[in-house]
Amino acid sequence: MTRAVASTLVVLLVAGQPQPALAYLKFGVTIGGRQVTLKWAQTPVRYSVSTQSAPQVTVADFQDTVARAFNTWQAVPSATITYQFAGLTAALPGRDDGLSVLGFQNRPDLDRVLAQTSFLIDRTTGALVESDIVFNTSFEWSVSPTGTANRFDLESVALHEIGHFSGLGHSALGETEMRDGGGRRVLAAEAVMFPIAFAPGSIADRTLKADDIAGITDLYPEADSTRTTGSISGRVTKDDQPVFGAHIVAFSVARGTSVGTFSLGAQGQFSVAALAPGVYILRTEPLDDADLDSFFDTSRNVDLDFRVTFADRVVVVPRGGDSGEISVKVARK
Amino acid sequence: MMRTARLALVVAIVCAAGVPAAQAQPPPAAGPGRIEAAFGGLWFGRQPLGTADANETTPTGGALKIFATSSELARVFGLEGRVAIRLLSSLEAEVQGSYSEPQLKVAIGSDSEGAPAVTAVETVQQFTIGGGAVWYVPARALGSRVVPFVTGGVGQLRQMHQDRVLLETGRYFQVGGGVKAFFVSRPRGFVNAVGARVDVRALVRRDGVAFDDRGHASPSVGVSAFVRF
Repeated sequence: MTRAVASTLVVLLVAGQPQPALAYLKFGVTIGGRQVTLKWAQTPVRYSVSTQSAPQVTVADFQDTVARAFNTWQAVPSATITYQFAGLTAALPGRDDGLSVLGFQNRPDLDRVLAQTSFLIDRTTGALVESDIVFNTSFEWSVSPTGTANRFDLESVALHEIGHFSGLGHSALGETEMRDGGGRRVLAAEAVMFPIAFAPGSIADRTLKADDIAGITDLYPEADSTRTTGSISGRVTKDDQPVFGAHIVAFSVARGTSVGTFSLGAQGQFSVAALAPGVYILRTEPLDDADLDSFFDTSRNVDLDFRVTFADRVVVVPRGGDSGEISVKVARK
Repeated sequence: MMRTARLALVVAIVCAAGVPAAQAQPPPAAGPGRIEAAFGGLWFGRQPLGTADANETTPTGGALKIFATSSELARVFGLEGRVAIRLLSSLEAEVQGSYSEPQLKVAIGSDSEGAPAVTAVETVQQFTIGGGAVWYVPARALGSRVVPFVTGGVGQLRQMHQDRVLLETGRYFQVGGGVKAFFVSRPRGFVNAVGARVDVRALVRRDGVAFDDRGHASPSVGVSAFVRF
């Protein structure tokens, strides 16, 4: 058994082992030389809630809040994952005890980390054994329905961490600016799985966006969804060479929604899966709105030296099929 | 341009064939013959499909625009066929079908990171089939060989995206008017009349490749040759 810290969140997030699959960032492990996507084999996934409270949050409030966040993911109609509350526990998150525990811990050492999700993985099979989420009481939390000034919204952060708990990596659908004191400030985001949290007081991240829904559907597809949705695939090149780590956004003109992915294949391949059929615009950009290690193993050579580029053709996603390969050629800055 | 030229040729041949057999008899109000078959060309005007912005959500729940799009079906020439049957002396019911290949254009601009504006394009195969009515308007001033009419109809729209990967369906409604000119008109025989029809229509298409549930209007002009039996 191996425990892997898969993600943390707030101003800085450390990604664990994002799998270089073609669609979205998912966590994965290498078993016997092959990549295994980290996902729950059986549902409902049972979770327990720690009896450790935080200064501004009672155990009952904490339990209710994380239940709402689990329900939000569970309500995605195109995905099959479900969750079940297994009860309160004195066990702490982060212990290898076979329980998936969510709870508070004081972690002043993680000075920019609001919360952290870790996994226990069976190294022989790649099976996900347990996943724990720690919420850092070094920060002040709010469970108010309307949010509280200067406190982080627990439901929003729980929703993000439960995305990790379910196997999703980070999305790059967001804009940031550097802060004077270091780190980044979020200007806007269009995915709960964007690695950097909104400012204290905001409750704008309590709702899943199209990108989150496509990601969870790709990981746990409902039987019908493979027939009712489609995908876009292609490759990104610069000077005829493959580009690794380009961020590709598929914008649905009809719905006004965006779903993102990365060029993760050795030949610059990408795939955006679980899309509603229809007309899309493709925008390709360098990954410069968050720290690279929020997404990738930094030993990978992520290319940032190219201009934002739109595909010059309308991309059509068929029902139950793929667009056919879209070639995106980008130019140096 | 090729289709237009071909259409002109068809009209010319029909007219030329009909001229020697032309009779001096003036046709009735709507011309002789009970069944009419027609084939010709059709021009669809530009059809705006609206605008959509790619936004991201701000911490206060507002919207930050990343880029903007504006879409349209470009103007196009197509082919149209019709069969009509006389119901009353001045009223016909008709079925019609058309085929065209308009371009779906999405203009992209106002990019937050300064990407150059681009127009993304694809060609759509567009089929329509529908029915309607033609009412002949009494108008002696136009003479006996030219008959004005008003028309209206509804139908189904099928639009196939490029590479035939996705079929979109919709409806259309149209109203308009025009004239029919009779080059040949005779009450007896198998062929009762030969002529040409020109009409202008206001066309409203709904659904199909449109990106919303609203109707989208565009003009269309049809020119066709007809034969009456």
